[in-house]
Amino acid sequence: MAIIDKPLALPAGEPRRAARPLGVFTRPKEQSGISAWLTTVDHKKIGIMYGSAALFFLLIGGVAALAIRVQLATPNNTFLSGDAYNRMYTMHGTVMVFLVVMPIGAAFANFLMPLQVGARDVAFPRINAFSFWVFFFGGLMLNTSWFLGGGADGGWFNYAPNNGVAFSPSHGIDFWNAGLLIAGIGSLTGSINLITTVLNMRAPGMTLMKMPVFTWMTLVTQFLLLFAIPVITVAQLLLTFDRRFGANFFNVQQGADPLLWQHLFWVFGHPEVYLMILPAFGIVSEIIPTFARKPIFGYPFMVFSGIAIGFMGWGVWAHHMFVSGLGPLSVTAFSVATMFIAVPTGVKILNWMATLWGGKLILNTPMLFSIGLITQFTVGGLSGVSHAIAPSDTQQTDTYYIVAHFHYVLFGGAFFGFVGGVYHWFPKAFGYKLNDTFGKVQFWMMVVGFNLTFGPMHILGLQGMPRRMQTYDDAMGFNFWNLVATIGAFILGVGVMLLLANVAYSYSKWKSAGRPNPGPDPWDARTIEWSIPSPAPSHNFDTDPVVTSLDDFWHRKYQEDENGVVRRVHTGEEIAQPGNGEGVHLPAPSYWPIVLAFGIPIIGYGIIFNLWLCIPGALVVIGALFGWALEPADDLDAPGHDHGHDGPGHDGSGDHAEPELETV
Amino acid sequence: MTDDAHGTRQWAWRAEDDPARVRKAMPTPRPSRQTISLKRAGAAALGLLLLAGCAEDKPLNTFEPRGDRADGIYNLMTPIWYIMGLIFVAVIGGTIVLAIKNRVNGDELDPEDLPHQTHGNTRLEVGWTILPGVLLAAISIPVVANIWRLEEKNEPGQLDVMVIGQQWTWSYRYDVDGDGFFADANADGKVDEADEKFPLDTALDPDDVVTQNEIVMPVGQQVDLTITSRDVIHSFWIPRLNGKRDAVPGKFSTWSLQANEPGKYTGWCTEFCGLSHARMRMDAMVLTEADFNTWLENQQRPAEAPDEATDPDAFAGRQLFINQCVSCHVIREEPGPDAIPYAPDFQANLKAGYAPDLTHFATRSVFAGGIYSQYEGRGTDANDDALNAADYVKLSELSKDPQGRDDYRWNTAELKRWIANAPAQKDMAPDDLRGMLPFPALTDQQLDQLSAYLATLD
Amino acid sequence: MTDVAIPVEHAPAEHHEAGHASSLGLSNTKLAFWLFLGSECLLFGALISTYLLSVGNFVGQVVAGNPRVVSTMPAEIMNEIAEKGTVNGFFDIPFTSASSFILLMSSLTMVLAHKAVTESNYRASKIWLSATALLGATFISGQVYEFTVFYREGLYYDGNLFGSAFYTLTGFHGAHVTIGILMLVALLIMAFKGKLQADRAETVEIIGLYWHFVDVVWVLIFTVVYLIP
Repeated sequence: MAIIDKPLALPAGEPRRAARPLGVFTRPKEQSGISAWLTTVDHKKIGIMYGSAALFFLLIGGVAALAIRVQLATPNNTFLSGDAYNRMYTMHGTVMVFLVVMPIGAAFANFLMPLQVGARDVAFPRINAFSFWVFFFGGLMLNTSWFLGGGADGGWFNYAPNNGVAFSPSHGIDFWNAGLLIAGIGSLTGSINLITTVLNMRAPGMTLMKMPVFTWMTLVTQFLLLFAIPVITVAQLLLTFDRRFGANFFNVQQGADPLLWQHLFWVFGHPEVYLMILPAFGIVSEIIPTFARKPIFGYPFMVFSGIAIGFMGWGVWAHHMFVSGLGPLSVTAFSVATMFIAVPTGVKILNWMATLWGGKLILNTPMLFSIGLITQFTVGGLSGVSHAIAPSDTQQTDTYYIVAHFHYVLFGGAFFGFVGGVYHWFPKAFGYKLNDTFGKVQFWMMVVGFNLTFGPMHILGLQGMPRRMQTYDDAMGFNFWNLVATIGAFILGVGVMLLLANVAYSYSKWKSAGRPNPGPDPWDARTIEWSIPSPAPSHNFDTDPVVTSLDDFWHRKYQEDENGVVRRVHTGEEIAQPGNGEGVHLPAPSYWPIVLAFGIPIIGYGIIFNLWLCIPGALVVIGALFGWALEPADDLDAPGHDHGHDGPGHDGSGDHAEPELETV
Repeated sequence: MTDDAHGTRQWAWRAEDDPARVRKAMPTPRPSRQTISLKRAGAAALGLLLLAGCAEDKPLNTFEPRGDRADGIYNLMTPIWYIMGLIFVAVIGGTIVLAIKNRVNGDELDPEDLPHQTHGNTRLEVGWTILPGVLLAAISIPVVANIWRLEEKNEPGQLDVMVIGQQWTWSYRYDVDGDGFFADANADGKVDEADEKFPLDTALDPDDVVTQNEIVMPVGQQVDLTITSRDVIHSFWIPRLNGKRDAVPGKFSTWSLQANEPGKYTGWCTEFCGLSHARMRMDAMVLTEADFNTWLENQQRPAEAPDEATDPDAFAGRQLFINQCVSCHVIREEPGPDAIPYAPDFQANLKAGYAPDLTHFATRSVFAGGIYSQYEGRGTDANDDALNAADYVKLSELSKDPQGRDDYRWNTAELKRWIANAPAQKDMAPDDLRGMLPFPALTDQQLDQLSAYLATLD
Repeated sequence: MTDVAIPVEHAPAEHHEAGHASSLGLSNTKLAFWLFLGSECLLFGALISTYLLSVGNFVGQVVAGNPRVVSTMPAEIMNEIAEKGTVNGFFDIPFTSASSFILLMSSLTMVLAHKAVTESNYRASKIWLSATALLGATFISGQVYEFTVFYREGLYYDGNLFGSAFYTLTGFHGAHVTIGILMLVALLIMAFKGKLQADRAETVEIIGLYWHFVDVVWVLIFTVVYLIP
């Protein structure tokens, strides 16, 4: 149990030394600087790294998006050749889904979820670091394909047999496979880690139905990942075997069924959609009650609708395949099932509206982004119903109508929620607030840019403009709205970049003002992560929070008086923990997660270019596993560690880590 | 759209395209499209459906159904669009109204001044869980009916067409003799049970006909399609006649088309299929029943070799064709490809029989995957549907008529450019056996001769 | 809870007896491992589905006489497949049944090994762990032998759908068994160093869970691949 009952004092006396202080096997000590980040196992730092890495990949995906929009601004444009366009849109989709939206979800889950459940860290801190690094190196590896023969050119959905060597002879799709397989290892280990944390490491008193909605949505999301990742892993491995070793899984000449790929891909792909949006649902479910100053309306419905979305997400994958000739029976079943997914999402939207109803709304930046999510997601949800209707989908699928739909869901929904979340929790992570006026400017720019970009795509799609088109003919009547969308895309791009500008601007303001601390509870918020100082200290909680109700922190601040009127009995500052929990023992940093994660892409390059390269990669992996297993479980100066370093309980955690890796 | 002089589908792919032709492709003077569209923009922002329905120059518009299947989908969706519009206004309007009405100034907020602390209302929430469920259940009834209607097939004996996608063009095999087979698997001239299995590997059933790019069909009749692909997945879509259906290699999906009026209906491959996905077009050319029968009879006529004395250019072109082009292209009844039936390698466009079948080439109105017009002139205006359809069966004759040459001119220039260097006109990968090879060795005179020969294939 | 400084990542089981009401009463490691096995179920589910679909398509093509498929293996094998409409005749069922039995027996020895470690019976734990690893290795040897025979008979990985699907599915399972053997060897090394005491029983239990899972998956694969036509 990682939960500690009372603040601890540093024991006096000489720091003890291990029996066998083998130089390389001691754990790193750095507390600051780059090496501290490279070896950290702190979930908050890892969360911040996930977010930063996602922003880095967002730049790549964003540049690709703008290149696509420039190409499509005018008919018969020659800015990008067909080949370049195909690589550009494939990499845009792949990067945005796997390396931007998913890791931003992981960033919030990592940073926030342990704080919300009152845990010291996640269940397996070293594996957590490994999850991040393996995702990051996998993402980097995918993007090295730009320089090593061109990005993937099969679309993010990468349908067989167009993804075979015969039709895509360059290495792009090999990189796509390898990079995503490697990043998938990180998602899988991360999901196991986070689920264990939620289920096993909640603060005393925090029953499942007292968990914040964000934590619930994280739990659902991670379960979706846990079961979805192995399916795409299988699909990508089969494709790798086909492409590199001559297997026949997607070889139609040998009688293979190309729909196998579509089934495997969408069995993964549809839960994937929900696991991208649910964290954002969780985020706005925290923000809206905070700034409406009333509890979330219908907490159990919010929770169960999230679970329902998670479950139903597994039964609707074939709605991506309505036109591939499944037969009317399957189409009927999947069409009706898909339509009913609108029910739990509708419940969520109505409950958010009911939370706004009668509230006293502080329309600051996080709140604006949350309202942006509600409205824009509604548009995406409605267009979603229109292509859940299979006959209508035969007209709409693979047109720009679909492009509009999923950008309204994933950009107007998920990404807006994420940006709102960044504004909301920024002081908890970094100790200063982002400028609100700047934030509002950013919000309106993003709203205008977003709707100018993707709103017209509804029209284009219904007027028959297919997706994945390098260009279009002047006679098609697509010119005007495409130009509008391109203009909108640039406004949107500037809007997104304003986030970075705001970080820099607010930082310099804060610095010149003498670095004032925003206090533990700058928003008069509801959940227990606001009961610790800002920025959150490395040990999170000085003492175990004891939770008695949903929105526990709020209920410690506000209580009903004898007349039944809710009164403030404490300010957040009064009851917040001081953050001085000295001597709290924390898991020590480790070199091995990053080393282990570094070895895996080397094997990936080996599979693409030369199998001999797999040997050094495997050596790094094996060496790192040994290092992982043999390094002392703690830094050797750790206080209060009476367990005995040479006892058998401390060198075997590598055994536990091993099985997680074998899906490599 | 391009209501200009020649009205070909202009695809200004490359800078080396003749600038004069690009200029000709410019719209004739009229209020600029942007001005018109800007005026529309305000209305469009309110209701995209409204705008999608009122555009008259959008050949792929799904809101202009012209066949019974597309009508069915359109009629199914019309009330649903209205319901969705209502929900859209209610939710988004409601959210915005709530946000504006309930806003307070955060800086002057009294922390004691709390709104009523509602935790929920189970009855209300159960209500708005069940209500959408009931609404969706009601909607699903006509939806399911429509799904099954889309799968309805003709009685046996009606016109059947096999639609074959390949990178990056469509071909159509007509089961003219009505025997249910599209192919002669053993290339033995006898079509029987043994031929059923792998029709793509095989020669055409000798009694049937094949055409390219445009599916030609009689007005009013339902035409059943069997859709498949030679290489990757494509998708066959004529939006104004029906929704789309994927062409999956190794699978034979059924689908159907029906058009209410004669005309030309444009479509576009809608499943990503590689390099020239954006240049893989198809059309449905809907003719009156009499015209259709004339067309079908003509297609069954064997090709006639040009006469050396009367048409020496065409004669020389035929020799060139037989020496070079037949290694990929088929002209039925002509020497060459029939002797080497369809190669048993589906991933090769560069083998005999896999490149487009050029029999009766001159009767078609487009080539190169539907991106170039075979005839130029007023009569081939891609958007003047009725004119085009009425003249379709007479295309090759009209082009030879000295009086009609201004209306229908054999498009020698683009045809020659295409033959000389196809990959420069359209992204292809002939080195990987995908697409047409460039022929830099052909002289201008030889290209003229080939063009002249192709013009005789009527 | 005298030990307040337990590193989070390997909290030993005994501390959970005093655990909070909010936790599940499973140690983190064991819970994580169950989750991992849940994920593995989907992995093998996808692989088995792929096998069934691919071999079904393969047999269909052989029965239909697709020359491109028929030419990928010797005629007598293809004729038999075409006649019977199944690939089962290709397998040596008695041999694989024997090796399956050996793998199943290893589950028994694994249980005994865990019991021995729990009871701090070092000698017995060494014996049963070795026995488990040896039985596993015997199974793997049998698989290698089987692969060799099939390869000689003309079933190539890149030859046809059947070869690709068969070697991939059974190979994945074999890789899982091999990793299991490596984990058992690691336990054995610890046992011989005297480090495998009763407080490591959970580690043994978890590796046992993995081992049983791999066995159960084999029962499924054996049924689907070898027995059901």
